[in-house]
Amino acid sequence: MVGLAAEVLARRVSCSLFTPLNLLLASLFLYTAYSFLKPAPAAVIPKEEPAIVFKTFTPRTLLPFNGENDAPVYLAVRGRVFDVTRGRNFYGPGGPYANFAGRDASRGLACGSFDEDMLTKDLDGSLDTLADLDREQLEALQGWEDRFSDKYLVVGKLVPVSEAA
Amino acid sequence: MGFDNLMLKLDEGVTGLFGQWNIYSSVIVTLFAGLLTYQLATRTDPDTHPFLLARQAQASPVRNEGESPVYRSQASPHSMPLNAGLNVKDPGASKWAKGRDGDLRDIWRQAVAGVQDDGPNKGATGRILTVLGTEHVTEHRLDDVTRQINLIGQHILDQGGNRVAIYLPNSVELVVTLFACAFYNLTAVILPFNQSGEAVISMLRRSAADTVVTVPGSFPFDHVVKSYPALRQLIWVVDEGSKHMDWNEVPQGTGSSVNVSTWQDIVSDYPVDAGKELPSMEGQKEPRDVTIFWQSKPGTTEEMVRFTSANLIAGVSAQVFAIPTSQRIGPSDLFLPADSLANTHTLVLTLAALYSNASVAFNSVGSEANDLAIATRGIAPTILVATPAALLKTHQEMGNIVASSFVARNIHWLQTRTLTQGVMPAASFLTSYYDRFRPAVGTKPGKLRLIFTAERVAAGTPRLSSQVLSDLRVYTGARVIYALTAAKAAGAVAQTGFYDYRVFNDQVSHFGSPVTSAEIFLRDTSAQKNGDGDGRGEIIVRGPSVAGNEATLGVEGVIRDDNTLAYV
Repeated sequence: MVGLAAEVLARRVSCSLFTPLNLLLASLFLYTAYSFLKPAPAAVIPKEEPAIVFKTFTPRTLLPFNGENDAPVYLAVRGRVFDVTRGRNFYGPGGPYANFAGRDASRGLACGSFDEDMLTKDLDGSLDTLADLDREQLEALQGWEDRFSDKYLVVGKLVPVSEAA
Repeated sequence: MGFDNLMLKLDEGVTGLFGQWNIYSSVIVTLFAGLLTYQLATRTDPDTHPFLLARQAQASPVRNEGESPVYRSQASPHSMPLNAGLNVKDPGASKWAKGRDGDLRDIWRQAVAGVQDDGPNKGATGRILTVLGTEHVTEHRLDDVTRQINLIGQHILDQGGNRVAIYLPNSVELVVTLFACAFYNLTAVILPFNQSGEAVISMLRRSAADTVVTVPGSFPFDHVVKSYPALRQLIWVVDEGSKHMDWNEVPQGTGSSVNVSTWQDIVSDYPVDAGKELPSMEGQKEPRDVTIFWQSKPGTTEEMVRFTSANLIAGVSAQVFAIPTSQRIGPSDLFLPADSLANTHTLVLTLAALYSNASVAFNSVGSEANDLAIATRGIAPTILVATPAALLKTHQEMGNIVASSFVARNIHWLQTRTLTQGVMPAASFLTSYYDRFRPAVGTKPGKLRLIFTAERVAAGTPRLSSQVLSDLRVYTGARVIYALTAAKAAGAVAQTGFYDYRVFNDQVSHFGSPVTSAEIFLRDTSAQKNGDGDGRGEIIVRGPSVAGNEATLGVEGVIRDDNTLAYV
């Protein structure tokens, strides 16, 4: 009696869609189909650094950008302010050119001297006109300026306090 | 013992499980095998690296207060000058020397000379075709076109012409006159076709034209003679059927001294051998400007823009290089401008096709048809310039057809999915079923491979969403490049990438990155302010392809996360 019932069940199973095997196969099929068809997430790359805003500096407002306390290192050459933070080892605190950080470095670069007396003393006065430099010094300065333009960003311009609005 | 028992149980279990195998199991497994085969057979890498789509333009590291950074195409980085010319190498010049920027004359010289790069196509030239009506296609031999350029240019010059207004529908004659002006030191003025008499006279006056090349029936000659005495010369382009008539007549009683002739007379009056050679390159004069009228909304005055030859060439060059090397326009392409050639976008693309030695077909009804089926009658273009209105019409018609068929709807869904994965669907047995639904573009469906279309700033052109662009890719099997165009920029300001098929939830698609001949930035307006990492404001474009080098577009834009430009 029990054997007969089992056989009937087995026969019913043999033509049913919902057998454990079929459910297994169907779920395998559906999962594969889903994984093929599910939309791939769009490629995401990190957003780029926000652009630095071009600023107008006076000798006094440029002063804080000398690299101390993790500040960026800026220096000015003939009115253009370069962000030389990437060259912190040279221009930052303790570097050989540290005197130039946050200052107008034009005269120092032209003369090839890193001395204190190359810097404009009067921060509130007019900018160094460099009028007394000879041809050789101006060429040296141009060389430096070209190198800076290639390597570093111009992030602002330097104007005397009298011209700052 | 325990292990044997376990194995026996496992064996029984597996046998029991597979004992349940029935017809449904076979069906499921067959479907499964089918799915795997389909995936393996159709699996392809994206057409381009997804990262290239994720950041499409390069921002300058420094920006001005109140402005966004300056954005440039990845193909023309900030450290380099923008793409300004075609790098034309004169015959005999060193292979490694930098070429000239070139001018319009170099485009026609290149079209006649054929492909210069070594390869199977070396020396191949394109063909110039005119489509008349539904069936009739005439081919113009290139040396015949050269002869027309020479004779028409010489004729206008001999008659004392200086500023030549071209008032023609899309036709070979329009292009011939443009090149004739370039070769014979004349200033070309291209007027939009089918304008009211008042508008034509106003445009002639503003451009100070002394010569007009036009077709009878559209040009209000009597009216112009009366109210525009500066006109000295008129050339009718008459068609085959009416060339026996006397066209050389000047309206009576005006006392005007306009010199009237017909194109056909000028060309046939010269000996057959005359004008076969283009003027030599030695001692050629500086190229003259080309004046173009930008039509904004109906009822407003057209904006007159003077493009230098260098502007146009930079625009052409940007379009040539906007297409990846492997897909570049070539002699096997048939290019059809189905938008008015008086639009710089269409004109610049047509010049790019000529420079790339593609065949170019002209259809005079093309510009106003606003219907792809009508504009492409008689030929099977591979590259098409279409108006957004025409594309939108096709999209609507196709949308209805596809929506009404269950199978088509699902194939459409599958193909859209393939596209958004970055792959242009290739022809397969699935698409062959879909083919019957495709819009009637050209005589041989499936040949079309690229559609250019453009939003015209403040001209009221219907706008296309990225979903519509994607649908059009599926419907036509062609890639679609959607550009932002403005009065003062030759070609485009920005345009979507060749391989960019992404779909966003938007009303107007983004416009991709700037073309290689221009850079853009956004300036603060009262409503839109730029912040750190957030560029928005009035769009300003700058570069060699812009008339006057810099132009404000007068519309507000925003830079999206993928560095593409979009309307606010």
